[in-house]
Amino acid sequence: MKNKVKLFWFIVLVVITAMYFIITRPTKLGLDLVGGSRLVLEAQTTQTMPVITQDMMNSLQFAIENRVNKLGVAETVVQRQGDKRLVVEIPDVTDLDKAKQFIGETAELEFKKLAMVNGKMDWVSTGLTGKDLNKAMVSSNPNNGEWVVSLDFNNEGAKKFADLTRELIGKQMAIFFNGELQSAPNVNETITGGHAQITGGGKAGFAYEEAKQMVDLLNAGALPVPAKIIEENTVGPTLGADSIARSKLAGIIGIGLVMLFMIAYYRLPGLIANIALCIYGVILFALFKIIPVTLTLAGIAGFILSIGMAVDANILIFERTKEELKAGRTLFTAINSGFDRAFTSIFDSNVTTIISCVILYTLGTSIVKGFALTLALGVAVSMFTAITVTRNFMHLIFGTGDLTHPEWFGLKKSDIGDSYKAVETKREKAKFGILD
Amino acid sequence: MKLDIVKNKIWFLCLSAILLAPGIGAMIYSSITYPTHTPLKVGIDYTGGTTLQYGVNTAAPNEKIGELREKLAANGVDNPYLQVINVSADNQKEGLKSIISIRTKFIEEGSDVTDKITKVMNEEYNSADLMQVSSVGATLGSELFKNAVIALSLAILGIIFYLTMRFQFDYALAAILGLVHDVLFILGVFSIMGLVWDVQIDGLFITALLTVIGFSVHDTIVVFDRVRENLKYYSKKMSFGEIVNFSIHQTLARSINTSLTTVLTLLALYLFGGVTTRDFVLAMMLGIIIGTYSSIFFCASLVDMWREGAKKKQAA
Repeated sequence: MKNKVKLFWFIVLVVITAMYFIITRPTKLGLDLVGGSRLVLEAQTTQTMPVITQDMMNSLQFAIENRVNKLGVAETVVQRQGDKRLVVEIPDVTDLDKAKQFIGETAELEFKKLAMVNGKMDWVSTGLTGKDLNKAMVSSNPNNGEWVVSLDFNNEGAKKFADLTRELIGKQMAIFFNGELQSAPNVNETITGGHAQITGGGKAGFAYEEAKQMVDLLNAGALPVPAKIIEENTVGPTLGADSIARSKLAGIIGIGLVMLFMIAYYRLPGLIANIALCIYGVILFALFKIIPVTLTLAGIAGFILSIGMAVDANILIFERTKEELKAGRTLFTAINSGFDRAFTSIFDSNVTTIISCVILYTLGTSIVKGFALTLALGVAVSMFTAITVTRNFMHLIFGTGDLTHPEWFGLKKSDIGDSYKAVETKREKAKFGILD
Repeated sequence: MKLDIVKNKIWFLCLSAILLAPGIGAMIYSSITYPTHTPLKVGIDYTGGTTLQYGVNTAAPNEKIGELREKLAANGVDNPYLQVINVSADNQKEGLKSIISIRTKFIEEGSDVTDKITKVMNEEYNSADLMQVSSVGATLGSELFKNAVIALSLAILGIIFYLTMRFQFDYALAAILGLVHDVLFILGVFSIMGLVWDVQIDGLFITALLTVIGFSVHDTIVVFDRVRENLKYYSKKMSFGEIVNFSIHQTLARSINTSLTTVLTLLALYLFGGVTTRDFVLAMMLGIIIGTYSSIFFCASLVDMWREGAKKKQAA
């Protein structure tokens, strides 16, 4: 009994913690549910590229999509509009200024050397650019602790870099980012191995954010043509605000009906299941906020399915408990074997669901990912609430006594002992479904 | 009075065939006749379409969008995506407050659809100024599809592996065939709806299918779990078929109650929820119902049939 009371207080503690996170953390909703910002980008022609071709637009769209994904926000939309425009829609939750910086930068990295141009010394391109990178990372200089951007060239880039440094021994080499001089170190020796570092231009080096942004941009790739943000507005939800308001209400009605059904059919255990379901909702919602998950309709579908599975777990348990009671077992044993025997099916079906979710999440894109994430979280939480929480409450309320009121379970006195003869199950074995 | 499922399994398998056949027919017919050569009618998420942007000089409340949607539908503009763009303060000129963006399927040159929409807009918002007409690309490309199919195939392999480990290979195969059964049914129904009522599928439809798949496997496992348990105790006293029957009857109350609770929620969403998610909810609801049917009548019958076949072979 003592352990049960302890477990009860543990559950209370979990709920309070969850409530704390629900109140303090913001809810992140996707573009389809709350809307967000809408940026219109226009590809700019340059002297070297006087015409914008469809191929360029395709790679521009790809590059922008890549960058938006690097922001770590689910469900952004990048869409072509007309011949040289892209519409980028970003959910409300994103830091718009950061997003704008991210999208607008061309992110062109160039290595240059000094040469005579029209009688003047000037920096000229060497052919080594951001395209030759394998990846970039933020790291710190072990000598002075400054933040630096480490570059890791691909095979071709490493060769180019070695050739370039060999050529420039004793001379200066410059690194330009977006046309700005970052640093111009003296080359002391040939550098093979394909690694290089960019130290900040100023005295104090890069600020961490500065270095991080450069790294993210370098990893996402340069824009094939410069693009300018020409319009910036906020937009309503893509699913239509009218629809969402109605669906919210409908969802509440739906869950209310399910709860009524559970009480009407399963009586007192049904009520307990409803409380467990509320706890389930609170914990899951808190998790959505802690992780954080950007909720979209696909995510909500996963959530609905996991509610269905959580309710199903309790239905399975109660049906089993009823069967055991009908078979004439004592209340305590009936509840316990109801849980133990229902456990194998709950366990197997949930593990199957989680396996599929992990695969869908790892390999899938946008919609599929959002769905898999919320479903997996939901199923994992329901393993706790539908089993541990319900069981704890059942034991606390019913205790170990006899079944004095069969109507609490929606049974009649005459039902008891009126069923097939139940066979004794060894609990340890039943739990894991081991076949003899 | 108890229904003998195993004895009548041939009939249930026939019923499944009857349920699936028209849909499969519709999908084949659609693949041949549609210009997109897809088994279902695809919406503007896949094909791209035309966006019309109207500037209005009042702040457009979101509630009014519903009204506009109904009016547009009455004028033959199907499934438009409506979005209010609130013009930021520094962009407001000449009283322009909001932009209503209407995204619909491609409007061909010389068609009167644009005029119709403009007329509706003028009725709704006094003066609506058609600022921009532009074609937009697809938001869901074939990449997403390919990717989803690959992910799903691997997920199915994972399910087969786990169920073979926990049950047996024929159970795993039956569970997957049940899943295929349910997915084909939903695809078929929506293919027919596309042909008859011009229902188009969008990104949400994929989500609904994923939900159906999740439920289908879950429901089948619960029935199989009971068979597995009963086999342990009764395999000497009863035949496999009898045990399957017995197990299905034991889990029947649970199967019906679980579907009922889920369908209740979905029905509320279907009847009272938003228009834009109606087809999505319908797909899920049909999926839950067919999923319950298949786990009771289809999957168990399959396993029993295979076992019987194996026994006969052994005897012969």
